[in-house]
Amino acid sequence: MPISLNYVLKRTFLSILIVIGVIVFTYTLLIITPGDPAVKWAGNPRGPKAHEAVELARRELGLDQPIYIQIARFIYNVFTGNLGLSIAYKIPVTQVVYSGFTSTLELLLFTYILAVPVGVLLGLYSALRRGSSIDGFIQSFSVVLASTPTFWLATIIVLVIYSTTGFLPYGRVSSKLEITTGFQSITGFYLLDSLLQGNIPVFLDVLTRLIPPALAISVYPLGVITRVTRTLIAEALLEDYVKAGVAWGVNRTTILKHFVFRSIIPPIIQTSGLAFVYSMVDAMVVESLVFGRPGLGSILLDALHKADFRVALALVIYLTIFYIIVNTLVDIIQAIIDPRVKL
Amino acid sequence: MDLSRLIQRNLKKTRFIIGVVITTFILFLALFSPWIAPYPREGYGYVPLEYENRKLQPPSLNHLFGTDVLGRDLFSRIAIGASTAIIQAFTVIFLSLLIGLFAGISAAYFKGVVELVLNYLIELFMAIPAIVIALFLRLSTGPGLHVVIISLVTTWWAWYARITYVYAKSIVEMDYVVLAKLSGLSDLKIIERHVLRNIIQPITVQAISDLGSALLEASAINFMGLGLPPGHPDWGVILYEGITSLSLEAFIRAPWLVVFPGLFILITTLGFTLIADPLREDLDPRLRRRWRLWF
Amino acid sequence: MVLAVKTVNLRIGYLDEEEEKIQWAVRGVDLEIQEGESFCLVGESGSGKTTLANAIAGILPPHAVTQGKVYIFDKLVVDDSSRNYNGVRGRIVNYIPQNPGTSLNPFLTIEDHFYYVLRDLYKYDKSKSKSIAIETLSKVGLTSEILDYYPHELSGGMKQRVLIALALASNARIIVADEPTSSVDASLRAGILGLLSKLNKEYRVTLIIVTHDIKMTSAICNRTAVMYSGEIVEIGKTSIILQSPKHPYTRMLMECVPILGVEKPLKPLPGEPTRIFEDISWCSFRERCPYASVECKTTPSMIPVGDDESHFVKCWRFHEVA
Repeated sequence: MPISLNYVLKRTFLSILIVIGVIVFTYTLLIITPGDPAVKWAGNPRGPKAHEAVELARRELGLDQPIYIQIARFIYNVFTGNLGLSIAYKIPVTQVVYSGFTSTLELLLFTYILAVPVGVLLGLYSALRRGSSIDGFIQSFSVVLASTPTFWLATIIVLVIYSTTGFLPYGRVSSKLEITTGFQSITGFYLLDSLLQGNIPVFLDVLTRLIPPALAISVYPLGVITRVTRTLIAEALLEDYVKAGVAWGVNRTTILKHFVFRSIIPPIIQTSGLAFVYSMVDAMVVESLVFGRPGLGSILLDALHKADFRVALALVIYLTIFYIIVNTLVDIIQAIIDPRVKL
Repeated sequence: MDLSRLIQRNLKKTRFIIGVVITTFILFLALFSPWIAPYPREGYGYVPLEYENRKLQPPSLNHLFGTDVLGRDLFSRIAIGASTAIIQAFTVIFLSLLIGLFAGISAAYFKGVVELVLNYLIELFMAIPAIVIALFLRLSTGPGLHVVIISLVTTWWAWYARITYVYAKSIVEMDYVVLAKLSGLSDLKIIERHVLRNIIQPITVQAISDLGSALLEASAINFMGLGLPPGHPDWGVILYEGITSLSLEAFIRAPWLVVFPGLFILITTLGFTLIADPLREDLDPRLRRRWRLWF
Repeated sequence: MVLAVKTVNLRIGYLDEEEEKIQWAVRGVDLEIQEGESFCLVGESGSGKTTLANAIAGILPPHAVTQGKVYIFDKLVVDDSSRNYNGVRGRIVNYIPQNPGTSLNPFLTIEDHFYYVLRDLYKYDKSKSKSIAIETLSKVGLTSEILDYYPHELSGGMKQRVLIALALASNARIIVADEPTSSVDASLRAGILGLLSKLNKEYRVTLIIVTHDIKMTSAICNRTAVMYSGEIVEIGKTSIILQSPKHPYTRMLMECVPILGVEKPLKPLPGEPTRIFEDISWCSFRERCPYASVECKTTPSMIPVGDDESHFVKCWRFHEVA
């Protein structure tokens, strides 16, 4: 493995710094925005026990202490996984967010496993047929795709599917099927679990409910990766070593496979990684409001309606960690694929 | 290449012209919609008194895009919404660009602790998802335009800071900048003359194409009900109201409620992309060169 | 004697970005290179020497426009606008690229470079290509250790040697080297030139070296052509051209190159070659030429010079060039 201890240490250190930074930033938001932070932290409670709840929140936050101690306490609480109970769910917020995470991640992974190869193929085809009408079509198509609002497309997909087939692609799996087949998820990834358990009806049901949202989310990666692939191939074809390879008598297929295609894989992985993080938001919007799937999106909406600051905070931290992990993975994959990159 | 020549060259490209036409149309709508919209008051959210009779009417000559759940003329809402879209996209990108340019150039030019801290901040704010910041702001301050603007600028500035930093860093290390420094030119002059002037074109083109992305993100935030309040003339809000106030059966019978606002988001984004893409090709010599398969 | 390369009234131009105008880089070159020769193409940047070399090596870019003919060992590879190097590129003509730093595929080990080249040319398998690689690498003074290395792990001089070995491994009878010494440290130049000379002398490879430095290759090239604005302005034995250049341009080229041990004033060449979009009837060097006169409104054809039958010059006033 071309990864040095130095890289691991540096990366870990920076990641911790970033998480701390996020906490400080969000805490600052809580303090400086109008209103009593304790009231907000308690979830704007009403009724006879309101005063008690607010006082509890005040103590939890340590609002009577100097600001740096408040923040230090807060950071400590985050790193010990002690963010308190969710106002909306009455269970620890980390648990709340984690439960939604796998659902959204499954949707995203499913989307990207399909969208990235298709995007690369489209871009490749387009580049190799440069100037043809197919190239023109793929290019225009990818520009339109990247400009399409996913939540809008998602709504249209639901309307079209429902009005033509009467099937409503809501949720992750039909609850009826869940009961009759006794399906229980272990990892949180329904598709994987049902397949491993050999539960084909559930597998198919999960799949049919996964495809429509995936289709909507895929427009962004599809559009971006198609365009990036085409540009990358254009650039790769101008490399000195491609010209040299041609002069050495290496044939066309070898040039494309080992001289051109190899060189575009690392930047494509990088682009996909960036897009993956970006699509997280798309997935959250689409799954919750349009497809009624439990996930990070629905957690966010619940936090909105219940004024649940704790869950909001856990969401920020989780998503930041998710961003860091994806970026680290991208770095590592790059180092494995590109012999020049050493971490 | 100066800007006027750049634009002149591109006027030959169909894509570019389509982009200019679309963007001009949307800008025109944004500026003059109060006079164009047949029911401007409804466009701003006013519910007509006789709304029971007028609600959910399909597109007709009277109501070009039909009417919504509260009987408001959808065309008027969408036309007035153009200004919201433009305001959101331009404000977000403009503010982010300002902060980003300042931060990126400072990091590249001043080095040392400034560079270290700014780079950390860039990493930090790129990692924070705008949508959750929007949730935070919404919870603490209530709905409004500021939720959209602040939450998006929080992450977008870092993007420009990073582009600027990488770009400025490569310029700052060039011989002529080192020479200018040695010859006693003031820092401000060097930045203005050598860094800013070189960077302004590529970053402007990037900003034009980002206007579309910013609009998509702003719309998503509004669609989630995190940003602007219901009734506000915004395409995302119109969609949000549509899907939250109707049952699916009713919704299927009123598809215009979905189709039109989304279509406007799409073509506006497309317009910005179509303008920026050909310009980018011209500025980037690598994209300009010929690369037909020839072996 | 067998002709290795023959061009007949070869013209090569590049379409500009708007695909409206053609800028001619090579204008009516007639050139014959014998098998086993070691030939040098000299000129400033923009003289068309690299374009001519690329036409011989079969790597003209897609927007190049060709007219005239190019034969490689009697095979017609360029026939006006049609270009077909199948069976020639790699096998008969091979190429040593200009920039060793960027001319090796960063994603392949050195062994894989040999493998893909030899597999595609001769259908050799991995072990056969490996043994050939070891053999040729030893000829250029490299050990088999570097087979597992990636290009970025090698020094510039080593990369250049690998490039030479790659050209050698293909068993090609003509090798075109584009500025083989320009991006190598001065201390390594002699070694590289020695290697090229060895290719020519020991392995009977026809060598075509492109350079801007006429002195550099004088030791290994027996014949030299000087190019200016897409034309060959002077051609002949290297030794004769060095001793008594007849074209004013060749002379000026010599005057701006320092010679070790000889104290002489260095004269920079004024101006630069003109870009040529249309056919011109006058001598393209006219504007920079100290000897220019009325005659120079027309271009002469190649005029034989002196007793040596192989020395030609494209200048009306070559008598005056002392």
